[in-house]
Amino acid sequence: MHEQVQSILRQVRSEPPNVLKTLLAIQEQVGHVPVEAISEIARSLDTTTALVAGVLSYYPDLRVAAPGRHVIRVCMGESCYANGCGRVLRALQDYLRADVGESTPGGKFTLGTMSCAGNCAVSPTVTIDRDLYGRVLPSEVETILKRYR
Amino acid sequence: MSNPTRLYLSNDTSARAAGAGSLADAWADRPEVQLIRVSSRGAFFLEPMVERDGPDGRIAWFNVTPDDLPSILSGTGGTAVRSIPFLAHQARYTFANFGETEPLALDAYQARGGLAGLEEAFRLAPDAIIEELRISGLRGRGGAAFPVWNKWKVAQQAKAHPKYVVANADEGDAGTYCDRMILEGDPFRLLEGMLICARAIGASRGYVYCRQEYPAAAATLRAAIHKADEAELLDIDGEPFPIEVVDGAGSYVCGEETALLESLEGKRGIVRARPPYPAQAGLYGRPTIVSNVLTFATIPQILSRGGAWHASLGTEHSRGTIALQLGGRVKHPGLVEVPFGLSLRQVLDQFGGGMAPGSRFKAVQVGGPLGSLFPAAGLELPICYDAFAKAGAVLGHGGIVVYDHETDMVDLARHFMAFTADESCGKCTPCRIGSVRGREILERIQAGGGTSEDLALLDDLGETMKLASLCALGGRAPYPVLTAIEHFPVEFRSKLRT
Ligand SMILES: Cc1cc2nc3c(=O)[nH]c(=O)nc-3n(C[C@H](O)[C@H](O)[C@H](O)COP(=O)(O)O)c2cc1C
Ligand code: SF4
Ligand code: FES
Repeated sequence: MHEQVQSILRQVRSEPPNVLKTLLAIQEQVGHVPVEAISEIARSLDTTTALVAGVLSYYPDLRVAAPGRHVIRVCMGESCYANGCGRVLRALQDYLRADVGESTPGGKFTLGTMSCAGNCAVSPTVTIDRDLYGRVLPSEVETILKRYR
Repeated sequence: MSNPTRLYLSNDTSARAAGAGSLADAWADRPEVQLIRVSSRGAFFLEPMVERDGPDGRIAWFNVTPDDLPSILSGTGGTAVRSIPFLAHQARYTFANFGETEPLALDAYQARGGLAGLEEAFRLAPDAIIEELRISGLRGRGGAAFPVWNKWKVAQQAKAHPKYVVANADEGDAGTYCDRMILEGDPFRLLEGMLICARAIGASRGYVYCRQEYPAAAATLRAAIHKADEAELLDIDGEPFPIEVVDGAGSYVCGEETALLESLEGKRGIVRARPPYPAQAGLYGRPTIVSNVLTFATIPQILSRGGAWHASLGTEHSRGTIALQLGGRVKHPGLVEVPFGLSLRQVLDQFGGGMAPGSRFKAVQVGGPLGSLFPAAGLELPICYDAFAKAGAVLGHGGIVVYDHETDMVDLARHFMAFTADESCGKCTPCRIGSVRGREILERIQAGGGTSEDLALLDDLGETMKLASLCALGGRAPYPVLTAIEHFPVEFRSKLRT
């Protein structure tokens, strides 16, 4: 992991140095941003650990722990709200026995929310990794999840 | 064997979510079919929609399943696209290419009038470009509705260098998707608008800050930038004008222009106090135009058709067209581009097609999560900036979400305050603390522990947030909550502890 972070740090070097871009690049390749790497990131970007930690804690999409193999996100935006995303979320919570922010035992799925996928006209919306599902009914949740190994 | 039949199928994210992807998979190795993946017309209730060329324009089949292929190939049961009421009654200018072209086909973009605005911009002096925008009456489409020419003038006159052009593709308002459609469906239009801006203000670099929730949009835009570069379009008067796509990281407030600039610099997305405005001192302290994707996409035609053409559409203080995005419990959710001035009721009836089956109207929210709620009695309001301002409401980015009879207004109000509490950047107290207190009060009411004093407290808190917040997140957050209480008081009172 240590070497992987170092090699990413060498690749993403930009002028002027950009903390957010660097953290996103690390997360893209490692899956999360290891807290142990903060001081090394700070050194490589010629900035303080406080600044790096501040950026890391600010953005909802940056994670300090590895998520499950598949990340499920239920849209909680207003169009999805009007179309019953609450019921879809409940169906997912029941099926997975996990709450928002939690992973299933064994780490297959992590359940999360988002605030709009721009799929409002075909809502409610659920994304799983890079796949996006629209007009999702609570009754379909199980069939959809069975596609993921 | 005879030539395969050309079938047009959208590759837009929402069309795929509606089933376009499985159609493409199902027909992938049918030799009698040549699939052309185009942008979407935005009539999402009809997607997946399949079209083929007819003697008199395109013919469409709606809500298609793989089994419909024989009737499409034999040409039975289709509808002429130009006779679809949802589309026929719109004034498609910025969205004229949608459903027609392949998003990355630069030649098709040009054949349909693309790049004519940029050519005009190269013929004009920077002052004349800005004058054309002044005549057009174009106001920013990202929410604040500030006159575009005015901002450009400030940036043009600023002495510092380099200058930057930043497209705001954060599209954070839930219920809005027109920027996503442009990024995925007509990306060269955005690039053309940015280049015109760069030429007018003398900028040497462009950025597009794209929300992380739009992976297909970012990928399409990157491919479009590559194509534009190959065609040597990213060049202004002999100087390169590189454009870079930068990913956001899930923060709503990063759509606010100064927070966006902080985020582009790689920092926490905290709002900056203004002035100085970004046009004076923006990215890395340099003069920067931050404008919404739709704003940039509107500009090419203002130059090619003339500012006076744009000013001839719409109402006195709201010139041009507005891209409304219908969502929630309407029967026909989708993109509606019309001149400003129709009433909310006209839009919901004519285009929305009324309510989704089984639903009765309860309220409509215009302008995203910070927008006001309107009951049935408020639907005569004309859709234009001044009428909305007078009503204490905003058009925002043009999102319209309809709620039906099953909506619990207390829960919806709690949902809004919880959103603000989650997304507040924390810079100013009224928003940082106020939103949390507001959420707590609404949770108390929801749990049956609230009193009428809590309603008065919400009102008081709301007024403080409106007046004292640094940016529109805190300043607008009370509106959906207070309009919910105003129009549905019984629902709130019935939950109170007596
Ligand atoms: C909390 C908040 C979120 C915003 N989000 C967006 C957004 O997602 N997209 C956008 O274009 N403008 C957004 N804005 C408005 C921008 O601050 C800015 O006014 C706009 O990008 C300027 O572009 P325009 O002149 O083309 O409207 C937001 C404003 C606030 C206060
Ligand atoms: S109103 Fe909220 S989001 Fe805006 S500056 Fe203040 S704390 Fe930040
Ligand atoms: S509100 Fe859920 S996709 Fe936009």
